[in-house]
Amino acid sequence: MSSIFAKRRARLLAMKAIRDSYVPGDQLVACPKCGGESQRKDVAGNLSVCPLCGYHFPIGAYYRLSTILDPGSFRELNEKLPAADPLSFPGYREKQRLAQRKTGLTEAAVTATGTIGGRKCVAGVLDSRFFMGSMSAAVGEKITLAIEYAAKNKLPLILFSASGGARMQEGILSLMQMAKTSAALARFSEKGLLYISVLTDPTTGGVTASFASLGDIILAEPGALIGFAGPRVIQQTIGETLPEGFQRAEYQEEHGFVDAVVPRGELRETLSRLLRLHEKGGRP
Amino acid sequence: MLKRVLIANRGEIALRVLRACRELEIETVAAYSEADAEALHVQLATESVCIGPARAADSYLNQDALLTAALATGCDGIHPGYGFLSENADFSDACAKAGLTFIGPSGEAIRKAGSKSAARDLMKAAGVPVTPGSDGPVSSVEEALAAAEAVGWPVLLKASAGGGGRGIRRCDGPDALPAACAEAKAEAAACFGNDEMYLEKLVLNPRHVEVQILADRQGHTIHLGDRDCSVQRRNQKLIEEAPAPGLSPALRRAMGEAAVRAAEAVGYEGAGTVEFLVDGENFYFMEMNTRIQVEHGVTELVTGVDLVRQQLRIASGLSLDMGQKDVTIRGCAMECRVNAEDPHGDFRPCPGKVEFLHFPGGAGVRVDSCLYNGCTMSPYYDSLAAKVLAHGATRLEAIRKLRRCLEEFTLEGFPTNAELSYEILFHPVFVRGRCTTGFLDAHLAELLDFSRRVEEKEAEA
Repeated sequence: MSSIFAKRRARLLAMKAIRDSYVPGDQLVACPKCGGESQRKDVAGNLSVCPLCGYHFPIGAYYRLSTILDPGSFRELNEKLPAADPLSFPGYREKQRLAQRKTGLTEAAVTATGTIGGRKCVAGVLDSRFFMGSMSAAVGEKITLAIEYAAKNKLPLILFSASGGARMQEGILSLMQMAKTSAALARFSEKGLLYISVLTDPTTGGVTASFASLGDIILAEPGALIGFAGPRVIQQTIGETLPEGFQRAEYQEEHGFVDAVVPRGELRETLSRLLRLHEKGGRP
Repeated sequence: MLKRVLIANRGEIALRVLRACRELEIETVAAYSEADAEALHVQLATESVCIGPARAADSYLNQDALLTAALATGCDGIHPGYGFLSENADFSDACAKAGLTFIGPSGEAIRKAGSKSAARDLMKAAGVPVTPGSDGPVSSVEEALAAAEAVGWPVLLKASAGGGGRGIRRCDGPDALPAACAEAKAEAAACFGNDEMYLEKLVLNPRHVEVQILADRQGHTIHLGDRDCSVQRRNQKLIEEAPAPGLSPALRRAMGEAAVRAAEAVGYEGAGTVEFLVDGENFYFMEMNTRIQVEHGVTELVTGVDLVRQQLRIASGLSLDMGQKDVTIRGCAMECRVNAEDPHGDFRPCPGKVEFLHFPGGAGVRVDSCLYNGCTMSPYYDSLAAKVLAHGATRLEAIRKLRRCLEEFTLEGFPTNAELSYEILFHPVFVRGRCTTGFLDAHLAELLDFSRRVEEKEAEA
């Protein structure tokens, strides 16, 4: 009689093994940097970093927060803040709905409170899957609200940028967000609080020109493109060949725009240490 | 209170009714066919009467035999279960004429709700939203064509008297209409003896959500929340859950209220179900089932209301012992139907002898089945072997519990679809609660391929 259960257990284990290794569609992911192919689950298990060359794949905002914040500490801020179409730009609403359906996000920014190594902080992330993380009025408002929340509650602030710049469909209102977020950060800074900016691939345009560059400490992920105008634009404008690794995180570190390049696997540990070191200063 | 009830059905529902009767101290008479002499409910009933040969038409559908058996054994009520005569208006009337209580609605109510095209008009008048379609039956291809052009393609042709997925044809354009019309008519005439057809717009990939209602003779009607039955294959449901995931509170309330209006419109009595198609924030009346349903258990688990007990109370003339405000939905319940059919053999029914049987247990678990070790499943009737239900505080908890149950569930002797259901419980679309009625058709190959690979792996080992 017990053989029936033994047989069944073997079958369930076989099913589990296949389920665990089962990835719908293509099993292999090609790395855009080294061209090597890796099993999708190996990449996923490695924080979406190519196991062969260390290329950092872009990751979603919620996943990013789950890799940084202590488990169970995540509390989203202003999650209901809706996307807007202030200029009634033709086709914009439709594109927003499509992006919302594809990503499950309402806008390109996700802000939250949580703890890192037991220390409370406010974290904001731009998601490059949503209009390339570009700054819309809603994104600017969410970031500003997060800064103000951190200032009010005297909490350190960490913002992860990944942005193509301003949201074109919102015109001047998008550009206004640069001033708004910068002003909020100035007020935040006057209180003597800590702001860490983490630049991920790509951080460009209006986001670089506002809050991303205003960190007390500026970290970057390896290989992230960081700049105002992109390398192609610059090359076409000045008509010269650009140096190797131009505008990449390592290049910017060498030239003083970035304090440290931190691989994704060490980011949580680094942030935790920084928060610990700045704890006294952050709480007068 | 009823004293003695004839159970005019078989399988797990006969057992379900018998259990409710026992708890209410009502005596039971099992009316069984020759094929079911060894069935569990026949063994457990107070008294058992053989009513005819295995073929359903000679036994479970034989009204005279059933009425004679009921009167001869001194019954005062008949419970029709589901299927067979449960939605037969004439049988309800015949019971009343013979002085027996039919545990279900009156013949008149069944007629009103049962004829699909008449029900549509009734619902429209009662303010229940219906899918756009023909006004009443269509008698000719020309009429059908005109109606189809008015509502837009694709359309569904349905038999007014239909049910169980029979007598329905999909039609994508005007060219296919005449053939589809003829086919559906022939099928309807063969299955239901009535070839009246109507036409409605086909809502592509809707969700199937239904609302459970209870109505007593005193005129109280309440609803007991909704169920999602979107995981289905050829209109046969496979996995059901309550409450339906991801409905907005406004939509849920509107559907509950519409269901109550629908029941009141037909003058309903007893337990019934109003089925809706849900498409985004819109819902359309699909049909009304004037009987207890296979998936009633999930509603029982989340509401704590024993529906068959309520049926028996209502049929005994008692008024409902609860109001709408007493109905609370707690947690999430999920049911998986285990059928004796081979998913790898085009779902061919393959009943046989139960060599070994083990049911899961534990907190929040329920198994409704008429099987026991060594019994033989009859090939004459439907292939439902067991219903495995799990109740958890959240949807995810219920999914995990049901997975665990299906891991424990062991049935040796014939193939079942249990493993397919188990795989569905892991499918990302299902876990997210995003299933539409098109889910299983779209993912069946992928799910079946899965267990094929398990078999390959086992063969290697």
